[in-house]
Amino acid sequence: MNAPVLQAAAVHKHYRIGKQEIPVLRGIDLSVQPGESVALLGASGAGKSTLLHVLGLLDPPTTGEVRYDGVPVHGLPIGERARLRHRHVGFVFQFYHLIPELTALQNVLLARMMAVSALGYWGQRKAAKAAAIAMLEQVGLGARLHHRPSELSGGERQRVAIARALLAEPRVILADEPTGNLDSHTAAGVVELMFGIQRDRGLALVLVTHDERLAQRCHRIVRLADGVVVS
Amino acid sequence: MIAAFSPFLAVRYLVTRRINLLGIAGVMFAVWAMLVVDAVFTGFVSGIRRDVRTSTTDLLVTDLPHDTGYERLREAIEADTGLVAATAPRLRHHGMLQRVRQPQRRVRTQGSSQVDFDHTENGFALLVGIDPVREEAVSGLRSWLVRGPEELAQRYPGDFWSSTVLDEPDLERRSQLRAKDEVEWAARRRSNLPAAKNVQQHRADMPGVLFGWQRIRRTGALPEAEPFDLLVAAVGSDNQLRSDSDRVQFAGCFATGHRMFDENAVLLPIETLRTLLGLDSFDPASVDLVTDIAVRVRRDTSASALVAGKQRLQRAVQALLPPGSPPCSVLDWEEQNLVFLSAVAHEQAMMQFVLFVVMLVAAFVIYATLHMMVVQKVKDIGIMAAIGGSPAGIGAVFLVGGFTVGAVGALLGIGAGLLSVQYLNPVNDWLFANFQVELFPRTLFDLREIPCDLEPSWIAKVGIGAVLLALVVAFVPSRKASRMNPVQALSHE
Ligand SMILES: Nc1ncnc2c1ncn2[C@@H]1O[C@H](COP(=O)(O)OP(=O)(O)O)[C@@H](O)[C@H]1O
Ligand SMILES: [Mg+2]
Repeated sequence: MNAPVLQAAAVHKHYRIGKQEIPVLRGIDLSVQPGESVALLGASGAGKSTLLHVLGLLDPPTTGEVRYDGVPVHGLPIGERARLRHRHVGFVFQFYHLIPELTALQNVLLARMMAVSALGYWGQRKAAKAAAIAMLEQVGLGARLHHRPSELSGGERQRVAIARALLAEPRVILADEPTGNLDSHTAAGVVELMFGIQRDRGLALVLVTHDERLAQRCHRIVRLADGVVVS
Repeated sequence: MIAAFSPFLAVRYLVTRRINLLGIAGVMFAVWAMLVVDAVFTGFVSGIRRDVRTSTTDLLVTDLPHDTGYERLREAIEADTGLVAATAPRLRHHGMLQRVRQPQRRVRTQGSSQVDFDHTENGFALLVGIDPVREEAVSGLRSWLVRGPEELAQRYPGDFWSSTVLDEPDLERRSQLRAKDEVEWAARRRSNLPAAKNVQQHRADMPGVLFGWQRIRRTGALPEAEPFDLLVAAVGSDNQLRSDSDRVQFAGCFATGHRMFDENAVLLPIETLRTLLGLDSFDPASVDLVTDIAVRVRRDTSASALVAGKQRLQRAVQALLPPGSPPCSVLDWEEQNLVFLSAVAHEQAMMQFVLFVVMLVAAFVIYATLHMMVVQKVKDIGIMAAIGGSPAGIGAVFLVGGFTVGAVGALLGIGAGLLSVQYLNPVNDWLFANFQVELFPRTLFDLREIPCDLEPSWIAKVGIGAVLLALVVAFVPSRKASRMNPVQALSHE
């Protein structure tokens, strides 16, 4: 059997506030197979976002290991971790997190500029632009290429964020309440889009949500409470 | 290697923030000021140096004892044929000059603020006794006499004729700087001085004196052979103060460009001055007195050979002086003007320092705007990290921002500087013509146009310096950005 595309092994995460040590994650074990979708459910403050950050190499675990394709990743040098974060995972956030100065197209293109040198990018800029436009068309924003985030609706912004996460062709999507800020109608559209792409491309998906019905659409549901997996 | 997103974001951030124009403008202004002010200063200084150089001989043997004669030393100095091309005697003394006839209307000076302390219009003079024939071989005497009337004609209306005394074929008359017979005859008649009945019988006998052109500003334009009385006083060997006077004629006007010299010096035949000091050349007991000996060195003399030659000459001359004499000096042209030249150099250094402070202020503006940018962009920093930006790449966004501000400012400043230097004189003229203001008051320095000398090496230094400074100040905000915790940055409000 293949190694899981993403794996957490006995992950602990403590935050220290002053002298106090606050345990947020207390021994998480989680494996995600290629193409698998996992819903992460839990009360607010359960540590879902924290786990996602640890899985996505944004935050180191206090103890325990995160493995990509069976290889531990948090011990790697910082530049290497950045490269892996770029290649292996794509983040989608509740609040979209687009850069306000950039147009939709530029925000997506940015994902192509992370791991190449300025000169290297110059050579492939036409191809990169074509790929970004194709990606925006796929998420239904072909007519919104040159709009700034402030000129887009919430649903449109989230589609841009999804396009950005996908442009680097990652193997895993880490989505943190991607519909949490959207009305139900818009949310449904975004959800359809996400699951569609996930299926088509055979991506792994870790989806943090409060929505039980949304969670049911995933292959597997993992419930988090007080920093441990309860089911 | 710089990740592609760093320059991309840097430029987007810069163009969406007008405040960065302030940094660009600051650098531009500082670079512009450094180039233009230094160009004017360098032009001014090199002009001064050129003028000082042309007014000064290659070497000057000086600090000689009071009764030093020329011939003995001349032989010893000219014996050094590897170094010395020619020598000339100089005798410095103070004197007074008084015009014989009533003065004419004086030359009108434009807005001059000079102190008019001598109502005699001529007054005190630094008399420099020269041997005109020998002097021509060691200094620019001939070119000084050409330049004198030119300088005057450029400023004042009047008849400023060129002196021809150096073209006199008779060596005896030339060494006396004497005027032509008919010219002196006419001058005597004008001034009611004794003269032969008719011009054919007249023989010129008044020695000539040469005025610096700055003196003519006070006397007004003078006709050829205008008579003057020259008074010299000295303490004789009997310890008594004695004075003597002679009637001389105005033989021409010179300009060396060295302002002090052109204001104070009056050149006259050395024999005339010796005689006034009681040393008659017919008296076999008298010495052919000099205070200095001007030396022209061979044109192929290298700088190091000159240094060695100076010491050699000093030893040779010292050996001929009476035992126990204080050491004489052999000075090259810079040493002869040491105080003046070092004052000018010091002023230039001060100016550069002041302008450097302007540059520092511009750099601080860049620092402040970049710092502000990092603070405003905390969330973006988290986003960059989340989509795979390395800390180095994130830091580079702000470093490239600083570099861009510095480089654009420097380029604009250099462009503005080049244009300003190109059009400095026309703009200055135009401003003066239309608004009576001048960027650089030329009359203050008595310049016909503002000198400008913009050296490419200085442009390069200032440009590269500005960019480096921008990079240095950008480093601190850049490091702050690269060290930010991405999770905290993302949740920043
Ligand atoms: N940087 C931090 N410092 C201290 N405590 C934190 C920090 N980030 C998160 N926490 C705490 O960790 C707990 C889990 O937070 P989070 O993972 O955001 O929960 P969830 O996403 O499940 O709502 C919360 O109690 C929160 O206060
Ligand atoms: Mg959360």
